Amino acid sequence: MHAAWTVKHKPRSLDEVVGNDEPIQRLLTWVKSWEKHVPKKRAAFLYGPPGIGKTVTVEALANDLNMELVERNASDYRTESAVQKFAGLASQSGTLFGKKRLILFDELDGLTGREDRGGVGAIIQIVKAALVPMIVIACNAYDPRLSSLRFYCETIEFKKPAAGVVMTHLKRICDREGIKADESALKFIAQRSEGDVRSAVNDLQALAQGKQTLTYEDVSWLAYRDRKEVIFNVLRLVFYGKSADQAKHAVDMADVDPDMLFEWIYENLPHHLRDPHDLADAMNSLAKADLYRGRIAKTQNWVLTRYVIDFMTAGVAMARRRTQPAGFVPLRFPERIKMLSKTRAERQMQSAISSKIKKRCHISATRAKKEILPYVRIIFEDNAQNAAEMAKWLDLDEAMIEYLAASKKQTKAIVKNLSARQ
Amino acid sequence: MWAKQEEREYCFISVQSSIYTTTEVNANLSYEMWAEKYRPKKLNEMMNQTEIVERLKSFVKNRNVPHCIFAGPPGTGKTTAALCLARDLFGEGYREHLMELNASDERGISVVRERVKTFARIKSIGETPFKILILDEADNMTSDAQQALRRTMERFSESCRFILIANYSGKIIEPIQSRCAPFRFTYLSRTDQDKYLCSIAEKEKVKLQPDGLEAIFEVSGGDLRRALNALQAAASLGKPITTDMVYSVIGRANPADIREMLNLAMKGDFITSRQKLREMILKYGVSGNDIIRQVHIEIFKMKDVPERWKIKLADITGEVDFRLVQGADEEVQLSSLLARLVEAGHDIKHEH
Repeated sequence: MHAAWTVKHKPRSLDEVVGNDEPIQRLLTWVKSWEKHVPKKRAAFLYGPPGIGKTVTVEALANDLNMELVERNASDYRTESAVQKFAGLASQSGTLFGKKRLILFDELDGLTGREDRGGVGAIIQIVKAALVPMIVIACNAYDPRLSSLRFYCETIEFKKPAAGVVMTHLKRICDREGIKADESALKFIAQRSEGDVRSAVNDLQALAQGKQTLTYEDVSWLAYRDRKEVIFNVLRLVFYGKSADQAKHAVDMADVDPDMLFEWIYENLPHHLRDPHDLADAMNSLAKADLYRGRIAKTQNWVLTRYVIDFMTAGVAMARRRTQPAGFVPLRFPERIKMLSKTRAERQMQSAISSKIKKRCHISATRAKKEILPYVRIIFEDNAQNAAEMAKWLDLDEAMIEYLAASKKQTKAIVKNLSARQ
Repeated sequence: MWAKQEEREYCFISVQSSIYTTTEVNANLSYEMWAEKYRPKKLNEMMNQTEIVERLKSFVKNRNVPHCIFAGPPGTGKTTAALCLARDLFGEGYREHLMELNASDERGISVVRERVKTFARIKSIGETPFKILILDEADNMTSDAQQALRRTMERFSESCRFILIANYSGKIIEPIQSRCAPFRFTYLSRTDQDKYLCSIAEKEKVKLQPDGLEAIFEVSGGDLRRALNALQAAASLGKPITTDMVYSVIGRANPADIREMLNLAMKGDFITSRQKLREMILKYGVSGNDIIRQVHIEIFKMKDVPERWKIKLADITGEVDFRLVQGADEEVQLSSLLARLVEAGHDIKHEH
């Protein structure tokens, strides 16, 4: 019952295709020109990044012009002989029912390896002899393997649509699904997709399916979810990389900055390198990377970053000598980052109380925090009466009392004591 | 070293359940930290550091005080001696002639200099023609800041005398040391500390058992502030103070248990050990320097580590210490040290 929204809400007509107005117009003109005569270039070569609607455009176009679309993709033309099978289709101008035919060769990037080279040659042969419009699609038109094919084709570039355009599409889907979506939420999804409409629609479905409303809070965690898969692979390179170079490659793959990557490696390392010697060596390497970070911070000499990278990736990878690979090791989010933000309020509170102690006890706030605060805390936890009097002496406010007392009940007791005194 | 019999019995002139009586006595008073409440007001009231006190008394008598350095471990009476000296010199209005600064809290030497300037510029009137400035935790100043301080000291030495307080006099630069009269404070003896604690326990109507008293000395090692804090926190439960109570209080006050962290690493549990470290730094705000200092001490105390390994570990500790100076991350560096301990624990086990 839950069809993929990319299919369910695929544009049926060119009117519904978002973005790329100009290339679409060019394509339309070229296809229509076949009605008069066979054009000089018998194939159109659509290229551009994935998920921006190249295939969808062709499908919608065939629908609009009431043409029969013969669609093939990479797996169908791996070899010359496989491609030859379509030769017949291309050389006949119409179908039994009088429909015009449109032939689409999709995902040409999928052609790889030596055998497939013949496949490109065969496609060229078909193009040369085609009696019906042919369309080929690839992400990268400048792939050297496709250069000869390109010569026989009308090249049309598709570009990434702007976020606003992607939003129009998302909005239309939400309307059809009966979802009330916040503008900001859709904007977030659209922007994050960077013009990849397909991934935007997938994200929308993942987040909004079955909901009545979609808010910004619903979508903001997306940034993390996505990263998780990437980071998983990156960490695999760092912990299991066979060569130093391979491990260093991890940094290019990661979509987080090196500092954050460092935290991921630091958190997960002991779970992957369990042999004591390997662990010590790997941690030593990580500590060296950190040392270079420290030097950079002190000297602002950013050139040193390359050594940070070396030690945190290759250094860690090469430390693995005895640890046997274990089964699946779950990914752990850097606990330190979470704790840092969680404990920030606590540390601020400690400092505030320590400043109060400092005023009374001839001691620096730093040392008050260490040497006196812990004992004050015990008094507050154990003795409401003494605590109330001490709160008065130190001039603490209620938030401070609550922090020191550690429980609601004790806080109440202290505050009650305090007000009885006043 | 041991308290005399009479003194120990002195502790038992105590009351039943202390909590109610404490409040009766203090009904209209606020409840202060005892270390403040019983801080000696005059040099005469100080019961230890006798030689130092005698010299300070002679300063008062002659109405002249040189620049001084009070060096020694925490809780031995440095700040108290400085405050008593000021009070004896200037009487009850001593606050007008005294300024207390703390090098750890003041931001930068420029702030210290500005405040010193405004304070020292106006001359004192009265019998004593100078003011006193106490600069606490002076060993936390960088050597550059100390150089600047030296010039300030010279410029205002007519109108202002400095008492620098430090744990380690070695961290005070030579030129300042040579301008100051040095005073070296030492830990309280068991006898002195027991006497002091018993007198306070009596005043606060706290029942202090002999084993509790012994435990307090055990954990404080002659640091009187720590001893008093432990006593007071233990007393807040309102029960007679025993060994167990003292240790429980100390345990609660120091959740950052370095020894436990090291033992976990030695046993091979790196992850839990790192978690302890993380809590110390993030939750309890213990500085990396403090941790490393304690780690260094603990390494030499660890019983199941071969002597040969201790020096290896000290080497790593030193390296980590130096890296922290270079701006490296405390937790990462210290956990690399823990990883080495895991390795050491593993090797030691397999050597046998």
